[in-house]
Amino acid sequence: MSSKIVAQRTMIGMEIHVELATRTKMFSRTPNVAHPDWYDAPPNSLCDPVCLGLPGALPTMNHEAIDMAMLVGMALGCRIPDQCSWDRKNYFYPDLPKGYQISQYQHPLCAEGQIELPLSSGEHGVIRITRAHLEEDTGKTGHELPGGLPAEGSIIDYNRSGTPLLEIVTEPDLTSADDAEIFCRELRAICRALRVTEGIMQRGHMRFEPNINVVLTLEDGREVATPIVEVKNLNSFRAVHGAIEYEVKRQVDQWKEDGIEMGPGAKSTRGWDDLGCRTLLQRSKEDAHDYRYFPEPDLVPLEVDDAWRARIRERLPELPLARRHRYVEQWGLSSKDAAALTEVPATAIFYDTCVHEANRCCELDPAGAASAVAKWLLNAGARLANEQGREVHEIGIEPEQLAGLILLREGGDIGSSNADTLFGRLCCEDGDARTLAEAGNLLQVSDTGALDGWIDQAVAEQVQAAEDFAGGKDAAAGRLIGAVMKLSRGGADAAMVRQRLVERLRG
Amino acid sequence: MTHPETARDIAAAVQAGQTTAIEVLETRLARIEQIDQQLGCFQQVRAETARADAHRVDEAIARGEAAGPLAGVPIAIKDNIMVQGEPATCGSRILEHYVAPYEATAIERLRAAGAVMLGRTRCDEFAMGSSTEHCAFGPVHNPWCHTRVPGGSSGGSAAAVAAGLVPCALGSDTGGSIRQPASLCGVTGLKPSGGRISRWGLVSFAPSMDQIGPFTRDAADAALLLQVMAGQDHRDDTSAEAIPPSGLQGLDAPLQGLRIGVPAEHCSADNHPEVNAAVERAVDTFKSLGATVCDVQLKTTELGVACYYVVGPAEASSNLARFDGIRYGRRADAPGVELEELYARSRSEGLGAEARRRIMLGTWVLSAGYYDAYYRRALQVRRLIHDEYAALFKQVDLLLGPTVPAPAFKLGEMADPIDMYLCDTYTVTANIAGICGMSIPGGLADVDGDTLPVGLHLQGPVLGEDRILQAAHQFQQATDYHLSQPPGAATSTCS
Repeated sequence: MSSKIVAQRTMIGMEIHVELATRTKMFSRTPNVAHPDWYDAPPNSLCDPVCLGLPGALPTMNHEAIDMAMLVGMALGCRIPDQCSWDRKNYFYPDLPKGYQISQYQHPLCAEGQIELPLSSGEHGVIRITRAHLEEDTGKTGHELPGGLPAEGSIIDYNRSGTPLLEIVTEPDLTSADDAEIFCRELRAICRALRVTEGIMQRGHMRFEPNINVVLTLEDGREVATPIVEVKNLNSFRAVHGAIEYEVKRQVDQWKEDGIEMGPGAKSTRGWDDLGCRTLLQRSKEDAHDYRYFPEPDLVPLEVDDAWRARIRERLPELPLARRHRYVEQWGLSSKDAAALTEVPATAIFYDTCVHEANRCCELDPAGAASAVAKWLLNAGARLANEQGREVHEIGIEPEQLAGLILLREGGDIGSSNADTLFGRLCCEDGDARTLAEAGNLLQVSDTGALDGWIDQAVAEQVQAAEDFAGGKDAAAGRLIGAVMKLSRGGADAAMVRQRLVERLRG
Repeated sequence: MTHPETARDIAAAVQAGQTTAIEVLETRLARIEQIDQQLGCFQQVRAETARADAHRVDEAIARGEAAGPLAGVPIAIKDNIMVQGEPATCGSRILEHYVAPYEATAIERLRAAGAVMLGRTRCDEFAMGSSTEHCAFGPVHNPWCHTRVPGGSSGGSAAAVAAGLVPCALGSDTGGSIRQPASLCGVTGLKPSGGRISRWGLVSFAPSMDQIGPFTRDAADAALLLQVMAGQDHRDDTSAEAIPPSGLQGLDAPLQGLRIGVPAEHCSADNHPEVNAAVERAVDTFKSLGATVCDVQLKTTELGVACYYVVGPAEASSNLARFDGIRYGRRADAPGVELEELYARSRSEGLGAEARRRIMLGTWVLSAGYYDAYYRRALQVRRLIHDEYAALFKQVDLLLGPTVPAPAFKLGEMADPIDMYLCDTYTVTANIAGICGMSIPGGLADVDGDTLPVGLHLQGPVLGEDRILQAAHQFQQATDYHLSQPPGAATSTCS
C-alpha cells in the first residue's frame, strides 16, 4: 500500500481449554477420560444417557469440577462472584450429541484476574485474565479405526463427551510468540501444581487458541490494525509459537496486499498445519455461527458463599512462580535449575522435603543443603529418571537417604565415584546411607596401615611410574593412585594416597 | 364381583386378597381390546410385561409382604416418559423405533409402590399441541364424543382414564397438557409445581415449564400418586428439596376459612356460557363448604400465551436439536449427501408440522438481533407473571376458574394454530410461574347436542399441592361431577 510501515506491534489474547481431571464427568457420574485412571479406556466405554444426549436425560453439576475451576481461578487472581449460571451454546455437529453445549456465557464462575510473570525481555509482565468458565467437552470425531485403518465414513468416540473443560480467556496483553509460549507454559505449570490436570499435551489435556493481530505504525503517523485471526485447537507449545510467528508475518503481508483493517466482519478462524508450519483459513466471519446462547433451564444458578471460597483458598498450594522465586532468591539456585525442579509439582515437593532433611541432619545452611540436593537430583537423579522413564521423585531414593549421602560426602567419608554408586543403591534398597555404604565397602579408607599396604603393592607393580614420580614427574602419580584405588576397590581416600606417595617417594 | 374403580380401591382390594393384580389387569386389558380401537388412546399396550409386573405383585402379597400403596394398580404412561426397555416415540416419526435404555424416576417410584405399567398412550408430537391431533401415529378420540378431540398434548392418557381403560395415567404438562385434556375428558388432572416430581426420563419440551403429573378418577388418587412420585432426585438438578406432599393425610380437613380468589380475567364473557356457569356453581359449593370466595385480578393473564410461545419454542428448538438422525432415531435414506443436508432431510422427514413450526419460531427468537426483542422481553414478562401470582397468594390460598374457555372441539376444527394456542390461555401462566394447578370435573355441558364435560381449574402457590388437593377432595365429597362417565364406560367398568 501507499504508506510505509515504520513500526509494528503484535497483540495476542489467549483462550485456553483445560480438561479437568475430575473422577467423573461434568454433568453425570460416569468416569472421566481425562482422569489418569481412565486415559486408555476403550472407545465409547465411558458413556451414559447424559453424555450421549439421550432423550429424557438431564445434567447435574459435578462439584469437584467446580472446586477445581475455582482453584485455578484463584491462582490466576480471579474474583469469584456470588453467583454464576449456565447457558446453552447451540450448534449442530455429530460429536455434540445434544445439539448444544452447556457452558457459561453471561455469568462465569471466575471473573477478571491477572498473573505477573517474567517474560522474554527479562522484565516482569502482567497478563490480565478476562474470565474463566466451565463447560463440557464434546466427543471426538475421527476417520481412522483403532490401529490406523481408514474407517468407512466418520467414527465418533463419546468418551470425551462431558469431560469438564475450563476455558480461560486473557486480554490481548501478550506481544510476541516467545511471550505467548512462556505464558502457556506457566499456565500448564500452575494447573499441574494445582493438580487439576497432568497437562499431557499429546492427550489434549490443554488446548490453546491465540487471537492475533498486528498494529502497524505508518510513515504518516497513522496507526492501523490488521484483522484479528483466531487459530483453533493448538495442542503443543511449538504450535503456539509457530502459529503466532507465521500469522504476524502473514497478516503484515496481507495488509500490504489488500489494506483490509480490523473491523466488524473482518475476523476469521484459522487452523494450524503442523507439517507445513502454516495456518489455513477455516472460516471467515460472514459464515460464523450464531450460537443462540440462552440460560440452561435444566440447571439452577450456582451460589458461591464466603465459606466455600475460603475452603478452596485453603487448598491453594505455593504456585510454581513463587516457588521458583524462592529457590532463586532464598536458596541461590540458578533460574534454570529452579525451573527444572518445578516443572513437575511432585518433584518440587520432593525437592523441598530433601532440602529440609539435608538441612536438618547435615548442619548445612539452607542454601548449602538446597544446592547439594539440587546437584544430586538434577545430575545422578535426572539421569536415572530418564533411563527409567520416570520423574525424579519416583526413582526410589528417600529424602533421609539422600541427606545421609550428602552428609557422607560433606564429611569427606566417601569419594565422588563411590558416592554415585551409593546413590544408585539408595534408589533400590532400604536402609540409611552409611549402613549401605559400609556394607558395600564404599566409604573412603584413611586408615594409614591399610593405605600403606595398597601403596606398597602399587609401587611394586608400577615400577616405572614410581621411578618417574620420584624423579619429579607429577603426571605419573595418576597411574599409582589409580592402582591404589583399584586395589582398594575405590575405598581409598585419593587425597591421602597422594600425600603419602609424596612423603614416601620424594621424602 | 365389583371391580373397584379408584387406584386406592384397587390397591386395597389387591393387598387384602379380595382380588389379584392379574385379575385387575386382565379386566382392563379386555376392556382396552374391546374399545380402544375406536378411541386410539394407546400407542402400545404391553400385555406381557404388564402381566409379569402383576404376577410379581401377587407373589409379593402371597409371601405376606406389603406390595405398596399402588399394589396391582394398572397405569398408562404418556409416550414421552421413559419406561426401560420399551419404545418411547413421543408421538414422533423420528423416534418411531427408539427404545428407552433407562427408566424415568417417576416410573421407578411407581413400580416400587406396586403399580403395573400397562402401556403407553398417544400424545401430540413432543407434547406440542392441545388436541393430540399432532400425533404422528393417529389422533385420539374423546370418549364422550368420538368426533371430538380429547385435548392435548396428553390426550391418550386423559381419554384412557375417562373411558375406564385404566384407573390412572401419567401425563406431562408444559402449558396445560395435563389440565386441558383432563377438562375436556372429565377427569382429574394435576400439574405439580416445578421441581416437585423429577423430570429424569421425561423427554424435554421446555424444561423450565415441563412437569410430570397424574390423571385420576378423583383428587384423593391424585394426592396418592403425587406422594409416590414426588421428592428430590439427584439426577434432576431442578428437583426441589422440599417437605414432601402429605398424600391422603389432611384431605378430609374442613375448608373453613380457606380463601379462594376467582380471577376476573378467567371468567371472560368469551368463554362458553356453560363453562362460566360451572365456575359459578363451584363458587357456591365452596362457600357452602366454609371457604370465603372473592373476585381477584390476574392482569398478566393476557400476556401468558405470548410469553409462553416465545419461551417454550426457544427451549424446544434447543431440546429437539438432538434428534438429528445421527446416533439414534430416524435417518433420511440419503447416502452420500453432505452432513448439513443429511440433518435437514432427516429432521424434515422425521418431525411433524407443529414441531417444525416451534423449532423455527424458537430458533428465530433466540437469534442474534431478535433475542432482546423476543426472548429477553419474554423473560421480563415471565418475571411479571411470577410476581403477580406471588402477590396474589398473599391474599388468597388458591385460585378458582375454568380450565379452558370451552368444552372439547371437533377433530380438525382448529385449523389455525393461533386458535389452538389460545386454548391454553388460563393454564400456561401456572407453568410460566412454576406454581401448581389441577383440573377437576365441574359438570356437563350441552354443546350442539353433545354432552361434554367442563373442567374447573384450581391453582395454588409453588409446592402448595396439599391445599389444592384438599379443596378438590372436599369439593368431590360434596358433588358427584367426577363420577360422571362417558356413555358406555359405566356399564363396562362396574360389575
